[in-house]
Amino acid sequence: MNVPRTFGTIADFFAERFPISKLNFRSMVQKKEVPIHRLSWAYYLGGLALFFLGVQLVTGLMLLFYYEPTVSDAHASVEYISQHVEGGALVRNIHSWGSSCMIFCVLVHMITAFAMKAFEKPREITWISGVALLFLVFGFGFTGYLLPWNQIAVNATKVGLQSIEEVGNYLPGALAEIPTRIKETIQGEATVGQATLSRFYALHVVILPLGLLSILGLHLLSIQIHGMSQGVDRPTGRTERFFPMFILKDFSLWGVVFLGFFVVALCLPFEAFFAYPLFAPYDALGSTPDGIKPEWYFFFIYYPLELLPFWLVVGLTMVVKVVLFIAPWIFRGTSRKTLRAIAVGGALYMVVMTIFGQQIYEIFKGGHS
Amino acid sequence: MKIGVALRSCVVVSALFAVMQGEVSARSEFQVFSQANSGRGVDCAMCHAHPNGPEGLKPGQIGSLNAQELKLLGLARTAFEPGSSVENPILNDFGNRIVFELGKRTFLELRAQPELLGSLLSADSDLDHDGIPDATEFLQGTHPLSSQHGAPGALFLHNLGEQWFPIVMLAVATALGLYGLRHLLIWFSILTDQWSAESSSSEGD
Repeated sequence: MNVPRTFGTIADFFAERFPISKLNFRSMVQKKEVPIHRLSWAYYLGGLALFFLGVQLVTGLMLLFYYEPTVSDAHASVEYISQHVEGGALVRNIHSWGSSCMIFCVLVHMITAFAMKAFEKPREITWISGVALLFLVFGFGFTGYLLPWNQIAVNATKVGLQSIEEVGNYLPGALAEIPTRIKETIQGEATVGQATLSRFYALHVVILPLGLLSILGLHLLSIQIHGMSQGVDRPTGRTERFFPMFILKDFSLWGVVFLGFFVVALCLPFEAFFAYPLFAPYDALGSTPDGIKPEWYFFFIYYPLELLPFWLVVGLTMVVKVVLFIAPWIFRGTSRKTLRAIAVGGALYMVVMTIFGQQIYEIFKGGHS
Repeated sequence: MKIGVALRSCVVVSALFAVMQGEVSARSEFQVFSQANSGRGVDCAMCHAHPNGPEGLKPGQIGSLNAQELKLLGLARTAFEPGSSVENPILNDFGNRIVFELGKRTFLELRAQPELLGSLLSADSDLDHDGIPDATEFLQGTHPLSSQHGAPGALFLHNLGEQWFPIVMLAVATALGLYGLRHLLIWFSILTDQWSAESSSSEGD
């Protein structure tokens, strides 16, 4: 292998993605134009995801002042926030709704970006960093779910961690040990306990935010350098200035969404959708209440795991993950019409599994999952 | 092993521990009815101080009561007629309210027809002030003592009515904020355009 030549190729790749000549205010803001076409609405989804990330950071910081990451006090501290801290119930409710809204926006943003071929050269790094951000927000969801230390939190986490260990059954030789080691590392002790809570807490409030902010910086920089993708196969030729027109519309949307979101968070407690025994403090010696499930945004993988062979679902998931990361190269020559069809299929699957997953499960297996 | 199997094994192990501790929760007729009627999971915490029910050594269970609380328990067990102000330490406020409104005699008779409990309880009583009467919460399988828990639609409408003032204030603040931001951004845009024009004309000179 010609090492200097390989390094040269890599350097050229990055030089093309981050050209020095474009790293200035004039190019990244003043001269930036946003295409106008029938899918232009999708350009606002990334901004909305960013808005909800801001909401999560602010409310998460507020919750940190009162939350106690110990198995003896975690649930009591969450109850204290909800019942005795001025505005605590609202802040906690905003954080609960905000996590779902952020993940929803990130998912729709990714699907529409795929449909618009936003990963096309020179936007590969924008896409890859976006996929990494998607997995990071899933990580936020998974780690944050445990923190209230209630029945649904601990039992759902146990099931999730158990699934990691199961992967080992399908790996050959020494590789079979790796998932168990991963599970033990995450769990920190024989079962989900104080070590697990401490690790999830550290991941949720320090490690994942640091990772997210750094990758988000790269993602935003890349977007500003290359601008929005053309989005459709036949551009209309019409554009609008990014600054101030697009930004103004973006902020106006944030304002409207903030208002609607605030009203929902103020008037509709997130917990109202669940059976109340699920929010009782976790009791290792008590009975496990019915209805233990992951958050809705994991249903697309939870129900298939319940219905289909484990190896099949895990295998397909791995394939989808790899395809997502290398989509810019796999779909380089694919038309946007075809990409739209794939995106619609993917979105349809997610919607059906999220809304009708339980009914589908009952049809094939009978009873409750 | 699949997730369902893992979950079931969790349940079996937990149940085994519960049996060893002598804490098998009494799934009363009322609990069974509420769960079947609403389709929501319900446990003893709807009426009892402890979610696993009255039997056991944990706080709110009979085994944990001190002499004073045992005396109260004894008094509460004789409250057969309606209107007796009882503070049974193994019941929560809703449980005590049922005994107060119906009396223990009627309550025990209702075990054969638990569906009547909702209609016999006062429609005015709303212990958690969430706008949903306790009797309705019993029928809907939601917690009568948690203002954060109730049928989502009813809860939303009630809270909307209660919180209209902060919502209107927030709408005004958001509108004014956006108005100010819009002018600030337009001003900044004009300014940067002027700077660009000046710098390109000076480069031309």
